[in-house]
Amino acid sequence: MTAARAEAPAAAAALPAAGLVPAGRRRGRAWRRLVRRPPALAGTVVVLFFVGLAVGAPWIAPADPDRPDWSQIRKPPSTAHPFGTDDLGRDTFSRVVWGSRISMRAGVLSILLAMAVGVPAGLASGFYRGTLDQVVMRLTDAWLAFPFLVLAIGLVTLLGPSLTNATLAIGLGATPTFLRLTRGLVLATREEDYVQGARAIGAGDLRVMRRHILPNIVSSLLVQATVSIPAAIIGEAVLSFLGLGVQPPAPSWGTMLNTAQQFLEAAPWMAWWPGLAIFLLTLSFNLAGDGLRDVLDPRDY
Amino acid sequence: MLEFLVQRALISVLTLTLITLAVFTGVRLIPGDPARVLAGTDADEAGLEEIREKYGLKDPIPVQYLRWVGLLLRGDLGESIRTRESVARIVGLKLPITLQLAAYALLIALLIAIPTGVYSAVRRNSAWDYLASGLSLGGVSIPNFWLGIMLILLFSVRLGWLPASGYVPLSQDPRGNLERMLMPAFVLGAALAAVLMRQTRNSMIDVLGADYIRTAYGKGLSRRVVVFRHAIRNALVPVVTIFGLQLGALISGAVVTEQIFVVPGFGRLIVEAVFTRDYPLVQGVVLLTASAYVLINLLVDVAYSLLNPRIRVGGGAR
Repeated sequence: MTAARAEAPAAAAALPAAGLVPAGRRRGRAWRRLVRRPPALAGTVVVLFFVGLAVGAPWIAPADPDRPDWSQIRKPPSTAHPFGTDDLGRDTFSRVVWGSRISMRAGVLSILLAMAVGVPAGLASGFYRGTLDQVVMRLTDAWLAFPFLVLAIGLVTLLGPSLTNATLAIGLGATPTFLRLTRGLVLATREEDYVQGARAIGAGDLRVMRRHILPNIVSSLLVQATVSIPAAIIGEAVLSFLGLGVQPPAPSWGTMLNTAQQFLEAAPWMAWWPGLAIFLLTLSFNLAGDGLRDVLDPRDY
Repeated sequence: MLEFLVQRALISVLTLTLITLAVFTGVRLIPGDPARVLAGTDADEAGLEEIREKYGLKDPIPVQYLRWVGLLLRGDLGESIRTRESVARIVGLKLPITLQLAAYALLIALLIAIPTGVYSAVRRNSAWDYLASGLSLGGVSIPNFWLGIMLILLFSVRLGWLPASGYVPLSQDPRGNLERMLMPAFVLGAALAAVLMRQTRNSMIDVLGADYIRTAYGKGLSRRVVVFRHAIRNALVPVVTIFGLQLGALISGAVVTEQIFVVPGFGRLIVEAVFTRDYPLVQGVVLLTASAYVLINLLVDVAYSLLNPRIRVGGGAR
């Protein structure tokens, strides 16, 4: 568990940072554009705040998120426990802070997985077209027919509930989106003059894909990633809420809401904070994603 | 037109075949004797033998698959391990409840989304438009299960206006039915409303910029006539496809919503089936939802091609 927690922040930190720093000379202009959009800027700041929370959880959280305290059961918010305590006397604030790690990890890793599968498959499908494309597209049709939760339920039935399997299910559920997007972008790009030129001077398929096509579609893929991550974060929370994801006592926002539901009358604060955290984080990601779309949209250049 | 329909239908059949292959493989990946998996851990030797006989588990795998598909085509989805009832029967009992919930949710979503979206497009960049866009973004971002819990906290725990959970059939007690369905339907409909509203607004803006709208204004028609008679009808065509795309989200949403509000429908059935390791039930439910998704998307495509003749010309490719 400790090892799993440690690797999450690095991945969590990498993506938003990469998204905000496009190719060198655009950097200044992109940043100025972002600053001129207050909602996008606010979204970015809040996302970075949560990244900081995830990275710094051991230092920020005042208490051990998993340690019960039988003298502090279901206490309302106070100075000692700003978000109150839960049914086992654990500090809700500390659990919400640690929960940001699980959410970020699930959100970012699942989308990285979706991109790792979807982007190469979409590239090949759009680049070579023909039979390969037909086969890939028909497989994607079938794949898409399993709604995210149904796919997750099938996987969890097979593999058992855990954070890793939930991440796997969310990633696989998001893969067709990236596959189709990449394919569409490649279909549009491969007829461009610079691609035709590269082929004319004898560049190999792999080189054309890597050096000429990929750099031109990467910003659209990044925008899609920023809007997919909040959906993936909600996905993890939903799975954990249903008991199909992170298992107690690990502090996932979804699991916390699951427990909170049993004590709505006696301890409503247990339900406020984890949900508010999910809402704030996904809203900020969506705002940042909208801003990023405007900033990176090549049509504006 | 016929060519387009045949082509779409063939693709759907192919998709359905791939789905059955995926589900069949999934069940076979469960460790242990397949007969044991399908009959449950407390089945006796006679029960196991019966299952082996029915699914031809001693035959080669491709034969087993074909035999299984044959049973599916006759509507035999197997029996629940727990209750020994046929999966088709259980689903038949649960599905109407979820369909009813979905219908309420759809109604709520349409009632919110279409007027808001149209009005936002007409009064583009007004305070109202920004407010509606903000609400729409909030609707997409809010986790539906948290929205549900907060509604229960407010309307059931704090105010005591609505029951927090349960289900009463409409035929038995219409008022009780509506009282219990209002919150779950709103929760299920909220995300859909947010997406529909955005789509309505954008497509309405596109239409309002079209030449024939300028012509309509040019011949002196009032704004009301232009918007209601000329613009809305064309603007709603792309909105139809959103239904097909949102269906997966609707199914996932129903699972969560039914769990929060303890609605004894299809969604709750799915989660229970996973926890009780009722493999035949999980298999049947997964198969049915995926097939429904394919068929409904086929219907949406057909409806879309009827509404928008341009799409038929290219054989559906554009």
